[in-house]
Amino acid sequence: MGLAALVQKAPPGAQLTVRSHHHSEDKHDWEAFGHYICDSTGALNLSEDPSLGGTYEGVEPMGLLWSLRPVPGSKPGLRMRKTSVVTPMEVTVSVYPGHLSEGFSEQRALAAVVVERWYMAPGVRRIPVTEHSLTATLFLPPGPGPFPAILDLWGGGGRLLEYRAALLASHGFAALALDYLTNELTKTTGKMVENDYFEAAYTFLEQHPEIDGSRIAMWGLSFGTAITFKMAVYSKIMKLKCIVIYSGSHIQPVDGGLKEIMGHIVKNQHKCRINEKQELIWHDIFLPIPTDPAFKVDMGRLQCPLLVVVGLDDQNWPAYESAMDIKEMMEEAGNSHLLTLLTYPNTGHLIEPPYTPPTRAGLFKTVLRNETCMLLWGGETVPHARAQEDAWRKTLVYLREYL
Amino acid sequence: MTPWMRSCTTFAKLRFSLGALARVRWSSSVGPVLTADPTRALIDEQIRIRARLLPPLSPVTLWTQMYCEDGDLWQSCAHYNTDSDGSVDLCRDASVGGSYVGCEPMGLFWALQPAPGGREGLRLRKRNMLAPYVFNLCVSGGHLSPEDRGTQGSELASVSIERWYMAPGVKRMEIREHGLVGTLFMPPGPGPFPAVLDLWGMGGGLVEYRSALLASKGYASFSLAYFGHKDLPGPLDTINVGRWYFKKAYQFLQNHDQVCGDRVGVFGLSYGVYLALMIATLPGVEPSCCICINGPVGSTTPLADAEGRREPFEFNQKHWTFNAEGQVGFKEVSKPENIPPENIVEMEKLSCPVLYIVGADDTSAASAENADLLEETLKAADKGHIFTRLSYPGAGHLIEPPYAPNARISLWKVKPKKLFTLWGGHVAPHAAAQEDAWRKTLEFMDTHLRGD
Repeated sequence: MGLAALVQKAPPGAQLTVRSHHHSEDKHDWEAFGHYICDSTGALNLSEDPSLGGTYEGVEPMGLLWSLRPVPGSKPGLRMRKTSVVTPMEVTVSVYPGHLSEGFSEQRALAAVVVERWYMAPGVRRIPVTEHSLTATLFLPPGPGPFPAILDLWGGGGRLLEYRAALLASHGFAALALDYLTNELTKTTGKMVENDYFEAAYTFLEQHPEIDGSRIAMWGLSFGTAITFKMAVYSKIMKLKCIVIYSGSHIQPVDGGLKEIMGHIVKNQHKCRINEKQELIWHDIFLPIPTDPAFKVDMGRLQCPLLVVVGLDDQNWPAYESAMDIKEMMEEAGNSHLLTLLTYPNTGHLIEPPYTPPTRAGLFKTVLRNETCMLLWGGETVPHARAQEDAWRKTLVYLREYL
Repeated sequence: MTPWMRSCTTFAKLRFSLGALARVRWSSSVGPVLTADPTRALIDEQIRIRARLLPPLSPVTLWTQMYCEDGDLWQSCAHYNTDSDGSVDLCRDASVGGSYVGCEPMGLFWALQPAPGGREGLRLRKRNMLAPYVFNLCVSGGHLSPEDRGTQGSELASVSIERWYMAPGVKRMEIREHGLVGTLFMPPGPGPFPAVLDLWGMGGGLVEYRSALLASKGYASFSLAYFGHKDLPGPLDTINVGRWYFKKAYQFLQNHDQVCGDRVGVFGLSYGVYLALMIATLPGVEPSCCICINGPVGSTTPLADAEGRREPFEFNQKHWTFNAEGQVGFKEVSKPENIPPENIVEMEKLSCPVLYIVGADDTSAASAENADLLEETLKAADKGHIFTRLSYPGAGHLIEPPYAPNARISLWKVKPKKLFTLWGGHVAPHAAAQEDAWRKTLEFMDTHLRGD
């Protein structure tokens, strides 16, 4: 949802800096700012007036959000992600005289407001799920239902990340955020879950009284796409109405499950590259595209619509190369009418809900080796921010159409 | 093929393709959608309610339900006909029945009524500023009345919305110092801010919602209790504070380090009008403006004097009027001819702009007569230019921030037996008055508290 910011009663024609500040849950400070000149009535409208410099330029009503970055002196490699979705993200927007680029905390602002950004709309219900040994959270929209549902998977960092599911419920879709790497079962048994774990999640949704069991989709990002492809094509239990793939790949050992996919990554770890900033590029790990059908999901067998979203500067997964191969496989098999492909230039791996500040490189803790490394995700701030907005909007349209 | 045949073929083709379209549409069975934009808003913000993907050119009913803090259910409904796309937009379309008619984007809120079977004489007033009102909006097929609901036509879609009196970042501070009893709301940001002293009527207690909203508009706002509050001295049924109390309250606000001391206004409703005018004429007090809604320019009951002597409000009931149903109206109490002249504010001493808002259907205060007296007094003192009057036909006594329902009658007391009082005001004109008056009040405050 948009943000409309208005400054009034400043000295006419004055130079002003509008600055946003957010203190994140993990206790880091983020800021963004734009340099403006107010008009002859002393007013400034961020929806109409251009920023002349700062962390964003031009007419950017949402620039104060998507161009947020850690304040100077912060730890490198930070990424903004909300863990608690029941509380809003609070952003303080202040106006300062002159064109400032630093030292905001020492300056006295002329005026300020506090903005709340929510992942959960009023009435959305958040329900922790532990049935069938699942570690998940179900979000239900308000109202009578039954609702279409989305099984929501994130990537190789694990954890139970709820924000996209919460947001989807705020748009009328039941959504189940599923932890499949750091879930309770894996923590207690030490073993990765099998395919039946995901099928249990599907069945949970199918049998839920407020969910329309004939309208269940799956949405994966990064590692989550590997599971999504496998389940969509091979699962006998899951009858997915459609799938959404963000920054993913169909390249994986066809036989087996999670453990085998992870094993495949570990075996190809040597293809990881390092750039001059000591950032790891995992892009080549899955490449080259295998010709052996045992190592890629047979996309010709897919029977439901598929939306593939690709950042062309994805340095973490070969999303573009995979998408091209998928397209070819589907054209050969005659089911390419099911494919919708969205590609975004200068956009990296982490295509998040809109207005989230993009992260070009960041610290990542992989479940594989329980160590933290600095990964290059890719993407330039402005095009990546625009891609997030566009992809989200188009994905919602796609879901309304096919789900 | 004769032309007739051709067109027949064309018609057949068209019908077939429409049929195919229809089949495709219904097989994808996307359900109706009800949206409110935004779903979280301040209580005085207009929102856009729309329903889509309903059957085209069909009757539908929009409902609202809300459980207030006391657990009472408030509800409203409106009848619409969808357009050829199957949508309804409350900013564009007219209601043809229900709680309101016509194109009324916010009708579902200001036309709320207590659900039948509930308690009598309810008035919707929020006590807790830190939580919103939560409304459940839904849409059903057909033109249904509240009795039909639940038996016919299940809900097609619904949405929940929150409406707040306090914007994010506004700080609420309980004030119990210097003998004052009140709540101060401070806008977010560094300040200093223009400020307003907020005064209500003889319902007593501490009424915070207008102050919370004013702080959400950038004014430091101080709700002051002066009667019927447990933290005030003396019995609950008398005013135990005198002029010194109100002067202290004004100075407290003026001297606050986050307040611009030379940009302080006073705002009163009902008896609060007398207090606001009295404060504005105290020596050493020079507010930047004064806003009066439906109140007297003098007091039948004097304030506590210097020795603390006072009279209960209900001591002098001779001007109370009762109608056939036993409901009381206080209008006669505030008629200028019934106010002891020594208790009338020296209005000629006013030196700041005054905005006086009159509800022409006010059955609780003689608002028009008091506005007349104020205007005449100021004109006689060559100060007519400081007076502005806004008058609203069909509006009652309780002209409050917009989109809240009016109470034409409400419960005044329960002991020794239930007594209901008449406030006046008819649903639609009162709602229109609240919207217009609030906007003009905010403009007035902006001019005189923020202007040069």
